[in-house]
Amino acid sequence: MKKFLAILLAAMMALTMTAAVAETAAPAEEKGTIVYGASTEIGGDFAPGAWYTNNATDKMLRDLSTDYYTVVTDQGGAYVVNNTVTDSIEGTVNEDGTKTFTIKVKEGLTYNNGDPINIYDFAWYPVFSCSKLMTDVGAKLTGYLSYVGGQDFYDGKATVVSGIRILDDYTMSVQIVADKVPYFYDEAYAQFAPFSLKYWLGEGIEVKDDGEGAYLAGDFTTESVQKALDYSRFHAGEDRVTAGPYNLIEYDVAAKQATLVINDKYAGNFEGQKPSIKKIVVLRAEDATWADAIKTGGFNFYDTITDGAQVNTAMDIIEDPSVKEALGYGFNYVQFDRAGYGFLHFSCDFGPTQFVAVRHAIAQLLDRNEFANTFCQGWGGVVNSQYGTGLWQYQMAEEWLNENLNTYPYDPDAAVQTLIDDGWVLAEDGTEYKEGVRWKEVTPEQAGTYQYNVTLDDGRILMPLKMDWSSSDGNSVSDLLAVMLANGEQTKAAGIEINQQVMTFTELLNYYYRDATQGDKYGVPTYCLFNLANNFTPAFDQSYEWTQDPDMIAQGYNVSRLYDPEIDKLSMDMVYGVESGDIDAYMEIWKAYELRWNEQLPQVPLYSNVYISMYPEWLQNYTQDTFWNFEQAILYATVAE
Amino acid sequence: MGKYILKRLGYIVVVFLIVSLLMYSLYNLIPSDPARQELEPQRRNMKPDEYEAAYQRLRAQMGLDDPLIVRYLRWIGLWKDMDGTFNGVFQGNFGYSNLYKQNVIEVIKAPMSNTIFINIFSTILSLGITIPLGIYCAVHKGKRFDSATQVVTMLGYSIPIYIIALIFMFLFCIVWRVFPVMGTKTAGATYANNWEEFVDKLYHITLPVIVMTFGSLGGMTRYVRSAMIDALSMDYIRTARAKGLKEKVVIYSHAWRNALLPVITSILGWFLSIFSGSVIIENTFSLNGMGKLYWQGLNNLDFELVLAIQMFYSIVSLVGSLLIDISYGLVDPRVRVDK
Repeated sequence: MKKFLAILLAAMMALTMTAAVAETAAPAEEKGTIVYGASTEIGGDFAPGAWYTNNATDKMLRDLSTDYYTVVTDQGGAYVVNNTVTDSIEGTVNEDGTKTFTIKVKEGLTYNNGDPINIYDFAWYPVFSCSKLMTDVGAKLTGYLSYVGGQDFYDGKATVVSGIRILDDYTMSVQIVADKVPYFYDEAYAQFAPFSLKYWLGEGIEVKDDGEGAYLAGDFTTESVQKALDYSRFHAGEDRVTAGPYNLIEYDVAAKQATLVINDKYAGNFEGQKPSIKKIVVLRAEDATWADAIKTGGFNFYDTITDGAQVNTAMDIIEDPSVKEALGYGFNYVQFDRAGYGFLHFSCDFGPTQFVAVRHAIAQLLDRNEFANTFCQGWGGVVNSQYGTGLWQYQMAEEWLNENLNTYPYDPDAAVQTLIDDGWVLAEDGTEYKEGVRWKEVTPEQAGTYQYNVTLDDGRILMPLKMDWSSSDGNSVSDLLAVMLANGEQTKAAGIEINQQVMTFTELLNYYYRDATQGDKYGVPTYCLFNLANNFTPAFDQSYEWTQDPDMIAQGYNVSRLYDPEIDKLSMDMVYGVESGDIDAYMEIWKAYELRWNEQLPQVPLYSNVYISMYPEWLQNYTQDTFWNFEQAILYATVAE
Repeated sequence: MGKYILKRLGYIVVVFLIVSLLMYSLYNLIPSDPARQELEPQRRNMKPDEYEAAYQRLRAQMGLDDPLIVRYLRWIGLWKDMDGTFNGVFQGNFGYSNLYKQNVIEVIKAPMSNTIFINIFSTILSLGITIPLGIYCAVHKGKRFDSATQVVTMLGYSIPIYIIALIFMFLFCIVWRVFPVMGTKTAGATYANNWEEFVDKLYHITLPVIVMTFGSLGGMTRYVRSAMIDALSMDYIRTARAKGLKEKVVIYSHAWRNALLPVITSILGWFLSIFSGSVIIENTFSLNGMGKLYWQGLNNLDFELVLAIQMFYSIVSLVGSLLIDISYGLVDPRVRVDK
């Protein structure tokens, strides 16, 4: 017993004394080292692009260590040629409707290990994306659908990809299939980055072109590739071969912590900018404890704080002098608009929400300014159509949008009038409406199989303003919507009944997509309303989102089921009817599209956040924006003397 | 004894198969489409033909169009996989994590190691405190120390662990700044040797271990105290004292040995629980452990990962109950486990 107690005492002492023994300085307190608190955990898959996963923090780590893309997005999210890497890019429309991009890269570029970069490093990846082997190793690439000859190569009918050509050691061309051009963002078709073939697929494989097209030669089998691929995907270390501003020198799986240091062989980004922050450490910041962690030096950079309450907490920390006193440094912040918004989604093909007047009335019954202000706690606003205030299109057309879009201001009386004008003037028995839920006489086509309809003795079919709303559990937007809209007195007074059904997000998506493969009940139109959120990428492309093709709808396009030929045409013309670079033509269609969307109102935009990122005050020249992420902005940041 | 153990091992295999079928079926009843879920974040970057091709390919790769029983048999390793080989649990393949895009066995390694590391300290500390404390309180039943301990242990037992964690974090991390708020490693630290790394890790897990220990004091202390009070009230204790044996001998050799029988179930249960992480503690302190992994697996509908973890715990529980039964025989000669 005595021995046991002695061992126990020793264990306790060891534990409690480690605080005194551990003298490792916290790098968060070291000037010049960014300790980045990520709101999503590192997954540990560092394969380029979206070969396998879409984890946001993995993507950031990849982007910090991978650059030299021939085409990149600039500070405003527009595609630009990367002049540090690219000598020239020429696009030629061929007689058969295809388009060929000839890309010449500069000489003298190297990987972080000193190996020279030439066109073969750029060309193997698109060839790989056309190969059957790519799917055998689990990658999710679909390049074979874009390059001429890609499908035949994928199907095994051809031994080369005829649309990918290696013209010399620094020049290649890619030929894009006819049905994908013209495309407003077609610079993206010419966007390639160098990846070390030896590092990613292993020794003994090379990309070749004997005059007919490019192909991968050597031991190009699943067995040989898989091992190299697994290593390069999941490994971080000094031997990792990349060509970006930073080298990913360590990923501690147990601690879920990654470390990057400057790549001294990096030639600069598209503006020739090289980083000066020497070290970046990335770790997970938990929602519940991030504020305590940043106040005590656990990390010193918190990127893209989205929640209004968290933004206010961050502001408190920034303004608190005791934090600076304790840490030896304070914090600054940068704010930027979200390129997206939270919304109330309507099913536009059945029930009351198939009528545009009902959608308008619901918008008028919700005080969206108050909603946005409450939900975002002052860090957000309202948009009136399908855009986010962070989009360059919005910034170009802000004045026009303010003048032309209907803002659907909060006006319960106007909402009632809108409903009356649309024929919602009956009671359940077909007599004149006095109180309760409003009803409307509808045609059999409009009635469909809506569960709440009644058929009167005289054969008239009546539809009530009674709607089911699907909302996910643990969702604060849903809670606020329930208070301000579904259970609001103004909604009841207008004769509308909205029943909230709380469910898991997975189940919500099944109803949203009407995915009958998950159960027959999901295939039946059930919910008129859903609340969700979106984010736009720099390429604002809404093509096919309003399609009337049943097959595409089954795939998940046009989830609103808004069958409006005009908005469908505008969404297609916006990207497929305009040559890249013709901004004026694009903007004309974009504005027409936004106006039509605003009239049809398939969603009620609820809020568009203002985000902030907080960083140590010794960091200077740090400017982040909607499409100018940390990994891009940090290259320009310096350490204050 | 050997025959008994073999028989029990046979039961374990049968129970494992039944549990695995039930769990697999339950998870597959949840209406979700892993292929769609996988592609959803990229849908906006794909054109319809690209999305459809990728979706159908994923469904085929995941074998989602096969009947449930086929998918189960494939997962367990009794049905040929998509590549024509048997490659399931029986062949050592515990599945593929859709969340981490790796084999489950690879995903589990690091969290399991962290969890065991933390739980070993916590379990030793907890048992080291609660057993002597419980014995002392039983021997000094009704005294001021015993009453005070009852109050404190009741508090520890009643307060939810996340409250304890937050209070301790506030005191130790914010007010006194003794321990770090999160993680198992100083950010960006480079170590000269393994000892430095070990000490840094120990430093980071100290507060979680203290919280876990504090949270578990109440239950075991009261359990040991209760068992000891029962034992001390037995006639053989009076006899031992009447024989003039020293009080220490009476308590530790006579009373404790007999009190151990009900306590041993809990003690072994604790040692077996070193493999299972705490969802709350690991999430609060941002520790990469089994509890957090399990939670993430569930939230992301990564069912093969969750299944593998659950089946592992099933085996640990089944083997644990066998060990407990065997240990009864070792602790109490009156109990025979060979039938």
